[in-house]
Amino acid sequence: MHFVVDRRIFVENVQHVNKSISSRTTIPILAGMKIDVSSAGITLTGSDSDISIETFIPKEDDENEYIDIFQEGRIVLQARFFVDIVRKLPGDKIEIFVQEQFATTIRSGSAVFHLNGLDPEEYPVLPKLSEEQMFQLPQNILKNMIHQTVFAVSTQETRPVLTGVNFEAEDGVLTCTATDSHRLAMRKVPFETTSDDLIFSNIVVPGKSLNELNKILTDTDDPVDVVITDTQVLFKLKNLLFYSRLLDGNYPVTKTMIPEQSKTDLELPRKELLATLERAFLLSKEIKNHVVHLRVLENNEIEIMSVSSEIGKVKEKVTCEKVKGEEIRISFNGKNLIDALKVIDSDHVYIRFTGAMSPFTLQPTDTDQMLHLFSPVRTY
Amino acid sequence: MNEGRTWKGKVIFHVDMNSFYASVEKVYNPSLKHQPVAIAGNPKERRGIVVTASYEARARGVKTTMPVWEAREKCPDLIILPPDFEKYRAMSRQIFELLRSYSPLVEPVSIDEGYVDMTSYFPAQEIGQVAKGMQQKLLEQLGLPASIGIAPNKFLAKMASDMKKPLGITILRKRELPEKLWPLPVEEMHGVGKKSAQQLRRLGIHTIGDLATHSSTFLELRFGKKGRLWSERANGMDYRKVDPESVHEVKSVGNSTTLPYDVEDKEELKKVLKQLSEKVAKRLKEKEVCTDNIQLTIRYNDRRTITRSETLPDALMDARDIYNQAVSLFEQYWNEKGVRLLGVTALDVIPLSDASKQLDLFTYERENKEMKINKTISKLVDKYGDDIIRRGTIDER
Repeated sequence: MHFVVDRRIFVENVQHVNKSISSRTTIPILAGMKIDVSSAGITLTGSDSDISIETFIPKEDDENEYIDIFQEGRIVLQARFFVDIVRKLPGDKIEIFVQEQFATTIRSGSAVFHLNGLDPEEYPVLPKLSEEQMFQLPQNILKNMIHQTVFAVSTQETRPVLTGVNFEAEDGVLTCTATDSHRLAMRKVPFETTSDDLIFSNIVVPGKSLNELNKILTDTDDPVDVVITDTQVLFKLKNLLFYSRLLDGNYPVTKTMIPEQSKTDLELPRKELLATLERAFLLSKEIKNHVVHLRVLENNEIEIMSVSSEIGKVKEKVTCEKVKGEEIRISFNGKNLIDALKVIDSDHVYIRFTGAMSPFTLQPTDTDQMLHLFSPVRTY
Repeated sequence: MNEGRTWKGKVIFHVDMNSFYASVEKVYNPSLKHQPVAIAGNPKERRGIVVTASYEARARGVKTTMPVWEAREKCPDLIILPPDFEKYRAMSRQIFELLRSYSPLVEPVSIDEGYVDMTSYFPAQEIGQVAKGMQQKLLEQLGLPASIGIAPNKFLAKMASDMKKPLGITILRKRELPEKLWPLPVEEMHGVGKKSAQQLRRLGIHTIGDLATHSSTFLELRFGKKGRLWSERANGMDYRKVDPESVHEVKSVGNSTTLPYDVEDKEELKKVLKQLSEKVAKRLKEKEVCTDNIQLTIRYNDRRTITRSETLPDALMDARDIYNQAVSLFEQYWNEKGVRLLGVTALDVIPLSDASKQLDLFTYERENKEMKINKTISKLVDKYGDDIIRRGTIDER
């Protein structure tokens, strides 16, 4: 194996693949990154057996020539060292060649590294997925969906299935749901599919996978193909494949949790509410559960209050566009509401209460494709 | 006895009852006087380990934490009694009442010891005489022997009360530290546990004097905050006040039990956890606190002890919730070897008034129902007393 590659594009791809490599792997070979050079270009592969990423650097495209290939071949290099090395190399080009016993030389500018490689034959082959169930989304839309739901996954391993985002499709609409059982974030989007009337449910992608994927997705409308099987999901970008294991277990039914009627409806400016909660949070983050208290006043006003017996107390009024229905006093986790308000884009939001001891919803005013649900907090 | 008159600063008494449980038993049953007596836990429940031994028993080699069979071997005519905490608590209340007649600044530390700030007596009265009077009153009015340590702060008072037992009165002045305190082995220092002592000895620190002369910066680096405190205290510095309220600031609530034999059966151990959880829940309720941090203690038959805890998103106080958490920790950390002791502790307890629970989106309806039931029970109990109604135990539900 012997090639010279443009440093910029190589580093970018190495860093993408590195997102799937964990230094704490139980399978030693997976601590490495696989480099596979063919006449068409370079394929880089990484995996921690939950996430696998494969990228392809073409020899050339319409505008540029990226690689000079002198000899095809394969090698696996310890990612820990390899990634840092290529990142810090001084030249515009990187030359890599492998000699006897997987001895690998990396050269760039005046720097020369010799690395002991690993046997590429030992590296597991990535699964070939059946592409029967597949749909397509623009990258920016998928990126947004993930951004607007994944923050709500559970970080506790007590119910593993809740550490993922549930993907469901029906009637040409994709629904993503995440909940840690105290708050729930849901986002819908219509999608294009190659197979007619694609229906699936209980496809639970680990939150960690989606967080890594989101670092790779761009804000462009370039398409992503999403391939779904029983145990794996594959996101296909141009020149990049992102595989993730799915979580076992049944995702709980969440549709029925969303209240259909409400007793108190608010419409209020998002940024003001967010700023008020953040101020209330200055005190409440010191106490358990970040509790804030909300009370509906007269004259379309609400009061947000937070008390900490040791530190002090804060009260603030927010003027709403509209207040409809019964008066209410309710206590909730302010941090959860802040998280959700941050992923909403609209200027105004609806909050709908169904009682002091029942869940309430938050929605943007400009779309009904997004919904957040919160449980109140009970004080003793 | 003129020495008490040149005292500077505060005068703190540490009053420590001598073999308290055994002494109380002797008050209730005078025929036990001058007999070797040991309190050893209900043989059915607490599996025969000596909790307290009278001085007569101690003289024959009986020690606390000794198994009953060994104690019997050392002292065949040993009288072994089960503990009666009702009795001891009642007696304890009388002790602190008596101490409060001397000064309002009384801080109970446990059922049988406490600090009294006696600064206001000085220098009008000779402090050794006052202590003697106090000791005599305890003995004559309640029939209980006590040792009293007198010093300018709590730490030294505590060390002083340990120096002469039973019925000792020891005055410890700062200038006497090099001769009276510093020669003591480091284990004797209040606040230094067995483990810490071992570590200190490995560092060449064998006596309290070694601790006093060691660099406090080093001790702090090596042991954290407590390292610095040791250094200060070994040098006779302790800035804690006698705080009558501190007894109300509960920080943790725990129960543990020593098993009669090494238990390897999981179901049996879970049963023990259940009992412990119920006890902890009961005490949490009495103190009107809850916790979001449950700790499990497992001592194996090789004396190796592990403690494992986990902070939970929500505060809990129910026996069932505590049990579930204890079992979850148990299943994660038990190595399936024989267990000698199990403990369940609620750490970092918080007053109910400061606590809250975030309802679960999946189960809030049931939780709200439970809450109503609990409130109803509390009301009934408040009105008609403890026995009117009670929730089923973990099993029955």
